[in-house]
Formats: sequence, C-alpha cells, structure tokens
Amino acid sequence: MSTPGASPNPAASALAGGEAGAAGAPVLEADRLSKAFEIRGDERLGRKVDVTVLDDISLAVRKGESFGLVGESGCGKSTLARCLLRLLTPSGGRVLFEGQDLAELDRDELRAMRRRMQFVFQDPFASLDPRMTAGALVEEPLLVHQIGDGEQRRAAVMEMLADVGLTAEQAERRPHAFSGGQRQRIGIARAFVLRPDVVILDEPISALDVSVQAQVLNLLRRLQTQLGLTYVFISHDLAVAEYFCDRVAVLYLGQVMELADRELLFRKPLHPYSVSLLSAVPVPQAGGRSRRAQRAQPIGEISSVVDRPKGCPFEPRCPVGRGREICKGERPPLVEHAARHWAACHFPGEMAIARANGSPPAGE
Amino acid sequence: MRLRGIIGGGGGGGSSRGGATDVGQRRREQVEPGRAAGNGLPDAARSDMALSVRNLSTVFEDGQRTVHAVRDVSFDMRPTERLGVVGESGSGKSALALSILGLIEPPGRVVGGEIHLGGREISKLSDRALGAIRGKDIALVLQDPMSALDPVKTIGAQVIEAIAAHNPEMRRGAARRRAAELLREVDIPQPERRLDDYPHQYSGGMRQRVAIAMAIANNPSVLIADEPTTALDVTTQSQVLALLDRLVEQHGTAVILITHNLGIVSDFCDSIAVMYAGRFVETSGVDHIFLEPTHPYSEALLKCVPNPERLADGPLPAISGFPPDLAQLPQGCAFQPRCPVGREIPECRRQPPRPHEVRGAAGAAIVECHFAEQRIKEVKV
Repeated sequence: MSTPGASPNPAASALAGGEAGAAGAPVLEADRLSKAFEIRGDERLGRKVDVTVLDDISLAVRKGESFGLVGESGCGKSTLARCLLRLLTPSGGRVLFEGQDLAELDRDELRAMRRRMQFVFQDPFASLDPRMTAGALVEEPLLVHQIGDGEQRRAAVMEMLADVGLTAEQAERRPHAFSGGQRQRIGIARAFVLRPDVVILDEPISALDVSVQAQVLNLLRRLQTQLGLTYVFISHDLAVAEYFCDRVAVLYLGQVMELADRELLFRKPLHPYSVSLLSAVPVPQAGGRSRRAQRAQPIGEISSVVDRPKGCPFEPRCPVGRGREICKGERPPLVEHAARHWAACHFPGEMAIARANGSPPAGE
Repeated sequence: MRLRGIIGGGGGGGSSRGGATDVGQRRREQVEPGRAAGNGLPDAARSDMALSVRNLSTVFEDGQRTVHAVRDVSFDMRPTERLGVVGESGSGKSALALSILGLIEPPGRVVGGEIHLGGREISKLSDRALGAIRGKDIALVLQDPMSALDPVKTIGAQVIEAIAAHNPEMRRGAARRRAAELLREVDIPQPERRLDDYPHQYSGGMRQRVAIAMAIANNPSVLIADEPTTALDVTTQSQVLALLDRLVEQHGTAVILITHNLGIVSDFCDSIAVMYAGRFVETSGVDHIFLEPTHPYSEALLKCVPNPERLADGPLPAISGFPPDLAQLPQGCAFQPRCPVGREIPECRRQPPRPHEVRGAAGAAIVECHFAEQRIKEVKV
C-alpha cells in the first residue's frame, strides 16, 4: 500500500484506541488484502492479464456491529465479502477471524470456522433449490455440519422458521410457493440456523419490493439483537446502508475510499467520491427536482479495473482532484483525518455535501 | 397531469370487473369530459394533450382465472409533462405501459378504454398501423437495456435500424451521421468510433443511454420509461435522469416514468400516480405525495422507505399482508384488507371508493379512498 509508515491495519488500530467498552473487539479483519483475477481471451488485452479487483484493503469488523460495504458495481464489495469468508482465496494479505489467520487453518478447522460465518445472498430465487421444501432447505446446513440428531434438527428448524415468521405448515412447501420476501426469509433461516457469529448479507433486500424490504430489515435487526450477531452488510443503496449500518466503508475500484461511523460518513463525508455518491441518492421528499439541479454531476464513467489510474483511482472523475498533479501521480493513503474517520484523499473535506437530510424542503 | 375531468371517469374498483363492456365504457367516456363543466377537458382540448387515456382496462385470462391487471385507468398528459407511476410489483405498472403501446399479448387483452396520442385515437388501430406509430410518436425504454439491443450487431447498425424504420427514404450515410449525433446527444464519447462497437463493449449505463438514444431517434412526443435506472448505479442513474431532462426540454417530450423508487419520482417528475391493484389510487402533483400522502397506501409506501432520521423510532412501519389476488379482488376497496384506516370499516369492505378530489397545502389530488376529505386535513409526514 502507498501508506508508508502507517500501521498495517489502520482501521483496526483506530478501533483499539478510544471508546473502550462501547466498541466491540475486532472479530473479522482484512489485513492488506488483495485479490487479482486472471483474465484471458480478450484480444484487446493480450493473452493473459491480471486484473486487480481488491487492492490492499485493510479494515476491521467489530463484534456486534453492522458493518456496511458500499459502492457501485465493480467496486469489489462482493469479492471482498467472499474473500473474508474464504469462499475466494485472496492473492495477498490476510483475513483474521478472532485474530486467527484463516490461511493457517487446515481443512477441518476451516470447516468448523465456516459454521460460524454465514452468507445471505441477494437473489432469493436463485439461491434455493426448487426441489427442496422450506424445512429441508433450512435443515441442510445442519446436515452438512453434522449437527444434532433428526429430532434435534427438526426442532431447530421449526424454531428457526418461527423466528423468521414462517409456519410449520409452510415448512412443507417448496420455494415456488413463496413470495420473494418469504424466500429471502428462508435464505436467512438457512444462514442463521447454524447460530453463526458473523453473517455477511450481500444485497439481501435489493431484489425485494419496498414494503417487503422493510419487513426483512426489521427481521434482520431483531435477529441481530436476539442472537448477538455481527453483520457485514453489502449494499449499493446508500439510504439503506445509512439506515442499517453502524459503520460504513466506501469502496471504489477495489480500494477503501472512506471508512467512518455512520453519522460521520453520511453527515460529513470527506472523500469527493463519497460526496458524489451520497448526493446522487434520490430522496423521497418534496423538492427533489431543485435538489437535483443543484448537485454536481459525477464526471464520465467509472474507470476500468484493467486500466486503473496510477494515482487516486477516482481522479479522472473527481470534481476536486481531476487533473491535479498529486492526485494523478500519487495514490493517497487511507488516513485518520478526524477521530474515527478515515479517508484516502489528498484534499479531504474540500467538497461539501448538499443533502436534504430530512429537513423540510424550502418553502414549506 | 390534468386531474380534473378525470374525476368520475372511473367508477370504483369493481366497475371493470363485472359488466363493463366496451360499449358501456365508450358511452361514459363521451359523457364525462363535457359533463364535468368548467372543470372538465373539452374534447377539442384533447388534441393539446400529448397523451390522453380513458377507462383503460386490461385482463389476462388463464383458463378459469381472469386477472384484472389494469382497471379502468384514466389520465391526461401535456407535452413536457413528467408523470411518475409508482407501485409494487404486480400493481399493473408495466401492464399499463404495454397496454398504451398496444403490446399486450395473449393471454392478455385490452378489454376497454381509449388512448389518444396527440389527439388521435390509437387503441383500435391494427398492428401494422400501430407499428408505424411505435418508435416514432411513442417509444418505450425498458429496465434491461440488453433486451433492446442485439448482442451480435454493432451499436451503429442497431441505432441506424431504429432511425431507418421510420425514415425509409433516408440514405445510409445520412442515417449513420444521425446515429452518431444521437450517441453524442446521450453523451457517448467518440461516437463515430463507438458506432462500430458491440453492446458488450459498452458499460451498463452506456447501454441504457443507447437504448434511450434509439427510443428518441425519431423525437417521439411520448416516452414511456419502465424502471429505466433500476439496474444502474446511483451516479449512472443521475446521468440517465439528466439525459431525460434534456429530452423533455429540447424536444417537448412527455415522459411516463414507471418506478418503484419514490426518490426518483421526486427527483424527476412533476406529477405522480400511485398504482395499487391495477388502479391509480392517488394522482397529484409530485410534492403532494411527499407532504400529504392522502391515500393510506401512499402514506404506507412512503413510510416504509428506510429513513435514517427515524432510526430511533424502532422497526420500520412495514405494510402488513400482501397485495390482493387480481383474479379475486375484494368487493370493496382493494387496499382494505391491509389498510390501517379501513381494515375494520364496513363501508371500505363493501363499497369500492369513488375518486375524490381533495385540495391540500401542496395542491390538488384525486384519491380513491372513502376517507380522502378527512385524511387530507389530518395527514402529516
């Protein structure tokens, strides 16, 4: 990383300092994590090209929190989540679960660890086997991990289904008989029945109607409190992330642009990319047309990971740094610019945010 | 959107279910605008409207079941008007769009109503005559731009095709120049060169902009955009909305924006129709919905959007229950079984609400709720 002298895990060290007691200990950490994929066959790229999707990411998720990963498509948020669970093998760096390097575990240990880290997928239609009943779907993870006997498993399944608001009668039905929201409840039950410590929620409500989104968010909140869970919540919807997460990391082209507590990030974003992203979110309030007229349009298209800028990845689109020598030439390190507020920017805070922020629109 | 003159244009939810025949609806249609004296829209004024829809009803018949997807919907749009149609999946938004365009296919069927495009009645036209209008006077943009683009043809070939379809006399060189011009208009960099690229060489946002370029190739007077930004990232989304802005301002196009996202409606539209179970349950200027959502469904829809300001209020106020089965609609108000106001009210259970015109601080609205007059005085967001 271009952070000479910075501690190897800035986010984690930030957590360690201050607010002792209030903050949970780091439970899941990325330490200078990188992931590259080899792409071949595209005549424009030559025969084989390594494409860096995650570039030197360091962050720590604390016990009991909802940690948000936000960014646009292609920013690497889903790849990061998969590396954190070791569903993908990182190309560089380490993933620590309760301080234990996942790469050092043998197969059995990793398997045991996996039980404690679960994944809820975006698409409740694609992630459920259409031939299995809801009950069998929820029981499957218990069978895979050889937990309990038939009787105990059945009891656990029924309890879990009840927890997510499904009835014993519905346990006999197959996925096609359920609505989108109900299928996502089954997906949640499957992940939670193992009583994990950490759950990664990859766009868990994006495929659902707004009225159903609210139900699922409420359910996730309740289960988190009830079971003392830690969430990593991946979302492209910033309004949902702001509502749901305690801390949020903003990703762009596989790098962390900004990492802060919810209030800090959404009220006083330091990085021009965060500002652009936040101002682009349409708010369901009166006066949207005039709000939109006032905000700065992001420039151009997201750069390609194949053709990644040398300096700051956001420089070609940045209203603040576009064309500036330092931004073009030097990648800004992720630095704690204010207490508990990290940003990778040469000119943090230079771009102010204009948001509705719930205040009544002008003229009311 | 013009509200007056539509009032009374539809009965309650039940009217299109039972005996509403084509004849019956046409008769009512002839009477309505004139009878709404003063408030109404005289027939002559209809030609000033970019689009005028009256009593449109569409069903899907599947053996024993008849699904009432669009139920007696009426509205008018001026040139340059931006109407947002919001609702959950299955509320009939897309069926409405396809009905207007004459694109409903069996087992679906438009069973009644009239559609006036620039004063011309188009709902009874042949497929061939409609084909000459679609893409020229009225165009459609869909959520997934790949559905409008052929992956094995260059972008240029497809844009040229869209131009040539309605300009058979145009020479190839001229069509290509026009295609490049269109791409420039939708902010594709180096348009002449990129005409020869294939769709997969464009990003998602660029593909959607090309789909819009094709839709506006012949400067339609009405553009229907069905969830045009749902598949896009927020920064790309605002580029697409800016593009639609320019379309409205430069060509006077009227835009129907179909979306489930109330934020996008606020950002782009000047009027809104909230759709539930195939009907417009609340129609108004756009700010009204956010300040005084009068139909209980509109209010519920607005309140279940996560709002960080209400973090401390506990769980999100989700809407209980499910939308009704459109083949077995409740006898009374379609929202009654889920309605926090009307759930226990016999009138709501028995009687479909008529459209009520109400006026609040943020302007007039037409609301299909028995309690509309009372609620406009009370409701506050």
